[in-house]
Amino acid sequence: MNQEEYTGEELMVVEAARYISDGDNVLVGTGLPMVAGLFAQKNHAPNMCYIVETGPIAPDVIPTPISVSDPRVMYRAVRHGSLLDALGGVLQRGLVDVAFLGGAQIDRFANVNSTVIGDYNNPKVRFPGSGGANDLASHARKILIIAPHEKRRFPDRCDYITSPGYLDGPEGRKRAGLSVAYPDIFVITDLAVMAIDKAQGVLSVVNLMPGVSIDQVGENTGFEPLVPSEVGSVEAPSERELHILRDEVDPGGAYLKRVV
Amino acid sequence: MGKPLGDKVMTAREAVERFVSDGAMIGMGGQSIGRCSVALAHEIVRQGRKDLILVGCNLALSMDVMVGAGLVKRTECGTGNLERFGTAFRWRKAIEEGRLEIEDYSHLAMASRFLAGSLGLPFMPTKSMLGTDLLAKRRPRANGNAFEIIENPWDPEEPVVLMPACTPDVSIVHVQKADEMGNLIIEGFTTHELEMIKASRTVVASCEKLISSDDVRRYPDRTTIPYIFVDAVVEQPWGAYPTSVYKHYEHDEDHLRHYQSRAQSGGEPYDEYLQEFIYDCTTFDEFLTKVLPETRKNELRDSMLSVI
Repeated sequence: MNQEEYTGEELMVVEAARYISDGDNVLVGTGLPMVAGLFAQKNHAPNMCYIVETGPIAPDVIPTPISVSDPRVMYRAVRHGSLLDALGGVLQRGLVDVAFLGGAQIDRFANVNSTVIGDYNNPKVRFPGSGGANDLASHARKILIIAPHEKRRFPDRCDYITSPGYLDGPEGRKRAGLSVAYPDIFVITDLAVMAIDKAQGVLSVVNLMPGVSIDQVGENTGFEPLVPSEVGSVEAPSERELHILRDEVDPGGAYLKRVV
Repeated sequence: MGKPLGDKVMTAREAVERFVSDGAMIGMGGQSIGRCSVALAHEIVRQGRKDLILVGCNLALSMDVMVGAGLVKRTECGTGNLERFGTAFRWRKAIEEGRLEIEDYSHLAMASRFLAGSLGLPFMPTKSMLGTDLLAKRRPRANGNAFEIIENPWDPEEPVVLMPACTPDVSIVHVQKADEMGNLIIEGFTTHELEMIKASRTVVASCEKLISSDDVRRYPDRTTIPYIFVDAVVEQPWGAYPTSVYKHYEHDEDHLRHYQSRAQSGGEPYDEYLQEFIYDCTTFDEFLTKVLPETRKNELRDSMLSVI
């Protein structure tokens, strides 16, 4: 499809979903991650197990839930369960393949801040806090972060580390004692996909969104990401993918604005 | 001491008078826009219980109302928000202005603290929060460190975080069904409530529907929480409104947005909300009469029934 025919959000969601494989256990909150999870399930991962932090396991989610307490995330679940089941018995237990995060700040080590801008004890802006995000980032084998690409959102260091990326370098998580010492981390933005370079423990630009230059990414990032000698490009969403996304996953446009 | 088999049914006013005191640590039921204990929170605000410590995983509307009314000294939680409807704005403002003590945790860490309390243990290990500011920037507690990192005694290479048990003085929850003994039936998600309820010294539960104890004994597998943990039962249909109750009604988007807009602006518009919808009402039913006409009730009920 041509760029005029889909939005940046639709592109991010479709690309993020490509990192989910059929049969994965995926822990999902709400917002764009939920849309990406549902899209993956309908598009290419019918055997994906959808897990919600409030407890539900493997629901046939009805479009489009707006909360982890929404009855639409409980529909035809195999078990309703509890938060301790989901975040303790499944996630900390080591059974989650893919988890999604979002955040106010993401730094070069892929640490995420969803707590505070400014000093923790004298905050400039206070955000909702970790929720399950720290648990997801601590225990999932693959972490997907969806975020709009803005300079202030990608500082060199987060004001507060709510959820661990590689903390301070390639061995940061290992030193801290996290069970998953070397997870895959992908940051999907409207400009690019950045992935953790495991040798250096920092984010590297691996793919550019259609029509985006590497300079644009640099100008909109507060740190200097690694740039490998060859940077790939993200495939634009197909007509079929956009159809599934718009007509089956978010038919009411609860999350995704339409192209005007 | 065991809790009696007798009739625990009472009004919200009586339950709050008897079981919620100034300075109490209150365990908060529900999550986000689902099954929040709104009726009991309104009653606590009406009675002006103060210096409260509110604990839970996600704290949402019922917490924000108590913070907005100036009754809360501290929160211990994982998040303060209503997801799509935004931050808990009075909570956020109180933190930004330094009027509220906070302890930030991950949701699993809070659930683990309740689990410790529910098992009669002083602490619980977790592998969450390692390496992050949730530990590094944690303030010490009155009785010592807020956490400890120890080595796994069987694997010295492996650090483990110990979190202190959380044992609320009283938990307030809203459930689908209860009987006069205090047996509780929760349907749908249970979030952190099972561990929190069992960790609490006392429990006040409001319910959509009072059922007979014969029914409970006929289907014991359906009992979520047996009566031995519960002190008061308040029959309050629509007691989680404007949040949802699985199988009963959906959240009311209009009223949530109305609350959020008042909470975000603060000042007089917010005070007017509290005055009109809490202080000027003698019971939660009076609030419901003001905001929830039959036609809207039917819409919210039908909307829920269409997705279960």
